[in-house]
Amino acid sequence: MNETPQIAIKTQNLIKEYDGKLALNDLNLSINAGDIFCLLGANGAGKTTTINLLMNFIKPTSGEAFIYGVDVVKNSRESKKHLAYIPENLVLYNELSGIENLEYFLGLAGLKYSKDDLEAYLTEAGLQNDAFGNRVKTYSKGMRQKIGIALALAKNAKVLLLDEPTSGLDPKASNEFSKLLMRLKNYNVATLMATHDLFRAKETGTHIGIMKAGNLVNQTLTEKISHSELEELYLTHINN
Amino acid sequence: MILHIAKKELKETGRSTAFLWIFAVVILLNSISLLVSYNQYTAKEEQHELARMGERDRWLGQGSTNPHNAAHYGTYAFKPTFALSLIDPGVEKFTGVSVFLEAHARNETEQVAAADQTGLSRFGEITPDFILLFIIPLIIMVLSHQTVTREKQDGTFRLVKMQGVSNAQFIIGKWLGNYLPIVFLTTILFLEAIIVIAILDPTVTWQFVVAMNVVYLIYFAIITSISVSVSALSKNAGISLVSLLAIWIISCLAIPKIASSYTNSVYPYPTRQEFQTAVAEDKRQGVDGHDPWSEASQKLAEETMQTYQVSSLEELPFNFDAYRMQKGEEHEARVYFKHYENLKSVYGEQKGVYQKLAILSPFLPVRFLSMSLANTDYSTHWNFTDAAEKHRIEMQRILNTNFAENSELGDWGYQADASLLAEIPEFEFESPDFSETVHSNRSNIFILIVWTFSSIGFLFIASNRL
Repeated sequence: MNETPQIAIKTQNLIKEYDGKLALNDLNLSINAGDIFCLLGANGAGKTTTINLLMNFIKPTSGEAFIYGVDVVKNSRESKKHLAYIPENLVLYNELSGIENLEYFLGLAGLKYSKDDLEAYLTEAGLQNDAFGNRVKTYSKGMRQKIGIALALAKNAKVLLLDEPTSGLDPKASNEFSKLLMRLKNYNVATLMATHDLFRAKETGTHIGIMKAGNLVNQTLTEKISHSELEELYLTHINN
Repeated sequence: MILHIAKKELKETGRSTAFLWIFAVVILLNSISLLVSYNQYTAKEEQHELARMGERDRWLGQGSTNPHNAAHYGTYAFKPTFALSLIDPGVEKFTGVSVFLEAHARNETEQVAAADQTGLSRFGEITPDFILLFIIPLIIMVLSHQTVTREKQDGTFRLVKMQGVSNAQFIIGKWLGNYLPIVFLTTILFLEAIIVIAILDPTVTWQFVVAMNVVYLIYFAIITSISVSVSALSKNAGISLVSLLAIWIISCLAIPKIASSYTNSVYPYPTRQEFQTAVAEDKRQGVDGHDPWSEASQKLAEETMQTYQVSSLEELPFNFDAYRMQKGEEHEARVYFKHYENLKSVYGEQKGVYQKLAILSPFLPVRFLSMSLANTDYSTHWNFTDAAEKHRIEMQRILNTNFAENSELGDWGYQADASLLAEIPEFEFESPDFSETVHSNRSNIFILIVWTFSSIGFLFIASNRL
């Protein structure tokens, strides 16, 4: 029996330059199935660049990135089969209902579910039943993100990429979101989350990485560090 | 996958009140224009029928008369109205609908509708072809300009890409989703027109109607491709809309105007004065039926006497006055033929230039095909005037022959029997059949096909750059 968990996300010497300016410098990341890796750092530290590279929305200047061993550049469509992505502000089709949005995106991924199944996923993602058929334009930000989670669940995604998903959510919605992440963790989903929320990172994350000016300057396990230590660590790196 | 994307577009379209309002307004506009055209058509048809019958009665009512008098008395040839002119009146308004057929002269067409109207008619009329040629392309552009840009701006495009959809699938799905509502709208507009046409003229050749419908559907497919491509290539919806409006202005307004100015400057028609002077000059060179003393008439007399081996005109077995009249008529016919052929060759050259310029704008081949299928283009008008001239020449021949064979030299008082008038058939104008129309439009059809493939090419270029 092989006890070592599978590597879900892996980057090797990943570099991204914009017009000669370094946005991401030599990133080596390895995230296992079931991990929740929280990327911390000031704006412009390279968090979003990392996520965009993993989704192949931008091409790396050099280096490689893999999702379950699949090269995200060379085999982009294959690598996306296992990916789910929720940006800071998840925009959906306003004129369609929540359930129609879910059905559409699943259809694009080649998946077809019955209405009951779709509703079950929405319920699991924590969306209240009476909102399923409402147009998305009436949804709050938290409700839209639940559609994103439902999509990840229905797609059976193995890797979840989150770009500041909890910013702008009220504490209750933020707490619900964390619970959903924990549930996905139980399904062995690997999560990479860029965030500014140190508290949430400590509460939810298994790993913490601090980025500064394109460099991953510190990596640590959350269980080994307290709230105050984390804050101090963060500030030390950012102020240096 | 493509259908899945298109279905979502249709769902959104169906829920957009802007769409529904625009569609309702266009359908209403089309209904009004058809109603107006219907009234004009029936009024015109009634007048035409009255004039045609009145004219025949007038002609036959001359009774016993001198054939050459009858030739000067003259009669009218009327251009029939075609049912498809309801959809596309083409140049009908400017060409006129009747020709006076008389001895010695090829007259121009009269009853030009535009001449009967006030300056306000310059602002144009609402006709189905205006809606189809100008309004619907504009609607396609306004409705589709942000179909891709909005997804890129909102970020939904990323979510779409995350599901492993290829750019080509996405773009083709978008194209289909934007095109199908237009197909639906066009079908309604044509169904309305077909109902009206079926009431007015059930004998219409339906191939023309179907072909016209297909031509417009291809036109809209091209415009949809261009709109979706521009939307995909633009950074934001504003740039996309401005670019598309510029394309609309250039292809539907600027290029057609520039094309007509350009062709007129490269292949100008002679002025009316030049034309008439040239005709008069050439006429003078030959026999004038009314002038026995001219050199040409003297020469004809000598030649004829020689041919018949007689020493005086009285000895000829026919009335030489009428014979000369016919020879004069034949000479004049040749002169007219020559000069009208010159005009026609200018028209041919202009048409050639137009067709070459059609490569610059999909509007032009569609404009020409539509008029041609409706039998309201300039070629149809030429065919009509040529047919009228042929009829006039035949009419003169019958009258002069009767005159020559049944009277003596100098007998200008000869009266032919009234039955002679009935020998002159009524003028009939046969419009070309479908295959002839297709054949004469092969260049336009070719260019439309080139445009179709180019616009598919635009879609693929856009999907590669997405």
